[in-house]
Amino acid sequence: MPADTSSPPGVSTLSRRPRRPRARRRDTTSAYVLLAPALALLAVWFLYPIVSSFLLSVQAVNVFYYSQRTWVGLANFQRLLSDPVFRSTIRITLTFVLIVVPAQTVLALLAAVLVQGLRRLRTFYRTALFVPYVTSTVAVTAVFMDLFTVHSALPVFFSRLGLADVSWFADVHLALPFLAMIYVWMNLGLYMVIFLSGLQTVPAELYEAARVDGAGAVHELLFITVPSLRPFVLFVVISGMIGAFQIFDQAYVVSGGTILGGPAGATSTIVIFIFAQAFRYNKLGSASAAAVLFLVVVSLATLVMRRIFREETRAA
Amino acid sequence: MPHRFPGTRAPLVALRYVVVSLAAGVLLFPLLYALYASFELPKDYGKLVGLGALTAWNYGQVVTLVPLLRWYLNTIVVTAIIMAGNFLVNTPAGFALARLNFKGKRAVFVLVLSIMMVPLQAYLIPLYLFVAQLGWLNTYASLTVPFIVYCFFIFLMRQYFSTIPREYDDAAEVDGIGKIGTFLKIGLPLSGPALVTQMVLGFTLTWNSFLIPVTMTTDKSMFVLTVGLNTLKSQYYDFPTVTMAGVILLSVPVIAVFVLFQRSIVPSLASSGVKG
Repeated sequence: MPADTSSPPGVSTLSRRPRRPRARRRDTTSAYVLLAPALALLAVWFLYPIVSSFLLSVQAVNVFYYSQRTWVGLANFQRLLSDPVFRSTIRITLTFVLIVVPAQTVLALLAAVLVQGLRRLRTFYRTALFVPYVTSTVAVTAVFMDLFTVHSALPVFFSRLGLADVSWFADVHLALPFLAMIYVWMNLGLYMVIFLSGLQTVPAELYEAARVDGAGAVHELLFITVPSLRPFVLFVVISGMIGAFQIFDQAYVVSGGTILGGPAGATSTIVIFIFAQAFRYNKLGSASAAAVLFLVVVSLATLVMRRIFREETRAA
Repeated sequence: MPHRFPGTRAPLVALRYVVVSLAAGVLLFPLLYALYASFELPKDYGKLVGLGALTAWNYGQVVTLVPLLRWYLNTIVVTAIIMAGNFLVNTPAGFALARLNFKGKRAVFVLVLSIMMVPLQAYLIPLYLFVAQLGWLNTYASLTVPFIVYCFFIFLMRQYFSTIPREYDDAAEVDGIGKIGTFLKIGLPLSGPALVTQMVLGFTLTWNSFLIPVTMTTDKSMFVLTVGLNTLKSQYYDFPTVTMAGVILLSVPVIAVFVLFQRSIVPSLASSGVKG
């Protein structure tokens, strides 16, 4: 599991070995020979851009006069936070997260419980449910757009249930739910597999005891499975929030890459906003400030997740 | 649990299969639909036709209307470079972090873990500007060089190397092959399963990646399949059957690799929740 990544299990055993100064020195040289390519590439392709990202957020930059950058302090952030487009971007992204996370968590849990209960063909069904996750987001979005084009079978079917017969991706009210549907469809398999690995940890005696007490399937699910999977549910919810917060591909494809965030800004998620500000409107200041805020939110959420998960596994 | 009370709940068991099959049907339907539509003539689009009316016409169209074969080649080249680079760079780093005792080990490991939680989108702009300054836009270099080092893979390899019994190190010490020799002669040959995981994940993530190629390439001849499909879809909006042929050509390799190697990648995907 994502478990405990901060206390490397190898370290303690290593330091318990008898110390030999010569061997130790040799290790350091060899270690850095083995690490050198990775560290060099990280310095150039991670540390340099990430530091630049912070610098750009406090500078005024024009991409056509890139060398003439001036320090503007927090002006980019002030402008960003008072920008109604950015505010609606935040609202849209949070709405998306709030639709997607509960839906995919519940559906993935149900799918895991169902697949776990199968005697035969378990691998077959697990594979079938997982295939969408490994399929290209661009390919999947193209297919869904086709399926949900006006007058196609599905919009006509849903129009009987009271929705308008429209192209879902082109409708201001349906575009975001449409993205959420694609997103859940793609990620369900991943979270199901996480729950499946969690289900291996639930002791069978718990279910047997419940059966003796005459508990039904729903009771079992609510009072045994879900509480036993608590750490896994937490993991799926938090990492699901982090993932959904970063949605980009589907939203980009829906707008064809031309008017990003369309229709009428309904799918302008935060990464779409950053991308559009930087690469469509040449507003590198706003884009960089938004990218820094985005980085802070995602990193904090990941730290919180690691901490919670460490405590959960320790308690278990 | 698979069969706690065998025989007592036969109807319930059958119901399970029905429900799971329905779920699998819903999840596979869009892909099966794309497959079917990709073999339909445009005039039959949206209708159910018999097998006799199916044809490979769209596939012929898609390779003549757009430079699809070139995009295929680009995707394969980029994916191959990244996979080779991943192997060469992340594997030794993971070995050092798992097996060697050295100054700064903890700092390097914390660095790797911290970088793992930073999404690419957070530094996409400076990355783009840097690549542009180097004159690398619309080159294979822009799509590969920055993504060869990947901290999740270093972590993955480290976790695996940590599980190899320590006796192997002592044997190596007796042979006097040094730590780098231990990596090459003992670590690498034993790391097969983790290497397969790294390779297959690297393949999947690169083959499907969209954000980077759509940022770094504007020249049609440098597109990869994902970017190409996106333009194909907009440009030939009136010929959805042709788009579906593109969808199938893009998806089949990655689905095939996944089905073949799922045992080596599903567990680590489950433990990380990564998606490029």
